[in-house]
Amino acid sequence: MASKDLVLESAADRTSRFERDALVFTNQLYAAALRYTRNPEDARDLVQDTYLKAFTSFHQFEEGTNLRAWLYRVLTTTFINSYRKGQRQPLIADNELEDWQLAQAQSHTSDQGKSAETVALESLPDSDIKRALQEIPEEFRIVVYLADVEGFSYKEIAEIVGSPAGTVMSRLHRGRKQLREKLADYAKELGYSTEQEVDK
Amino acid sequence: MSFIEIQCGEVLSSVIFIIEGELEAVPQAAAINSHLSICQPCAAEIEHERLMHQMLADVLKRSCDEQAPEDLQQSIHRQIREQAGNFAGATEVVTQFSMTEISIEIDEFGNVAHREIQIERTHIQHFIDDED
Repeated sequence: MASKDLVLESAADRTSRFERDALVFTNQLYAAALRYTRNPEDARDLVQDTYLKAFTSFHQFEEGTNLRAWLYRVLTTTFINSYRKGQRQPLIADNELEDWQLAQAQSHTSDQGKSAETVALESLPDSDIKRALQEIPEEFRIVVYLADVEGFSYKEIAEIVGSPAGTVMSRLHRGRKQLREKLADYAKELGYSTEQEVDK
Repeated sequence: MSFIEIQCGEVLSSVIFIIEGELEAVPQAAAINSHLSICQPCAAEIEHERLMHQMLADVLKRSCDEQAPEDLQQSIHRQIREQAGNFAGATEVVTQFSMTEISIEIDEFGNVAHREIQIERTHIQHFIDDED
C-alpha cells in the first residue's frame, strides 16, 4: 500500500482496463439480469446500464477487491432502483425477521416426503426450474440466485443487495423453501412423485 | 454447570445456519451440536437438507446458464467508447491526497511500538471545454 504507484493511469488506460477486466462477466451478468427482470429486452438494457454505470464510477472501484461482486452490486442496485418500478410485484412483508424461524416446520420430514423432494429435483426440466424461480418474490429470488447460482456468501450478498446479513439469511431460507415447495408441486402435477401419497 | 437440553424444533429452525456453515452465529450452537450427536432423526434431517441444498444449487446452476445475445458485448463496448469520448476533449483534474501518520511509543521497559497509518484519497473531475 505504501509503495502504491503515484502516477495515475490516463483515462484511455482506464477505459482499456475496464474493458479487459469487466467485460468478461457479460454472460454471467446477463443471466442474472434475465432472472431479475424476467424478460430478454429488459435484461439486455439492464446489463448495458450496469456497464455504463460501472464504467463511469470505475475510478471508485478499489483495485484488488472483488470486481465480480462489485459489478453484481451495480447490477442489483440498478435493478432495484430503476427496473422494478416498471414491473411492480407484491413485496414480502416487513416483519420477515421476526416470524421466519417460527414459520418453519418444527417437525421431522417423513422418508416419503424426503424422497418425493429428491425425485422432483432430479426429474424436472430446466424450464420448470426457471418458472419456479420467476414465481417466488423478487427479494427471495435475488438472494437465492446470488447464493446458489453465483456462489456468493451471505455476507457478500448483504453487501450486494444493501441489506443486513440477518435479513439475507432469512430471505435465503424462505426463498429456498418456497422454491422447493413449488418444484414439489410441479413434480406432482407432472406425476413424478405420485406413489408417495399414502399417509394422508 | 448448566447443560441446556433443547428440543428438535429448535435444532430444525436453525438448519439454515448449519447449511451455511454459520452455526456459531446461533446462541445455542453448542447445545445444537450435542443434540445432533444423539438425535438420529435430527441428524437425518440435516443430512437431507444438505443434500437438497446441493441438488437445488446444481439444478439452478444448470438451468440458469444463459448466453448473452452476440451483439450485446459489442454494444456495451460501443457505449463505453462513446462515454469515454465524451471525456476525451475534457480536462481531467485529478486531486490526490496522501498522508502517513507515524507514531512511535516507547514505554518504561524500553519496548518500542511503531504505528503507521496511510491515508489516501483520489478525486477525479472532468471539465468539458465549452469552446467547441
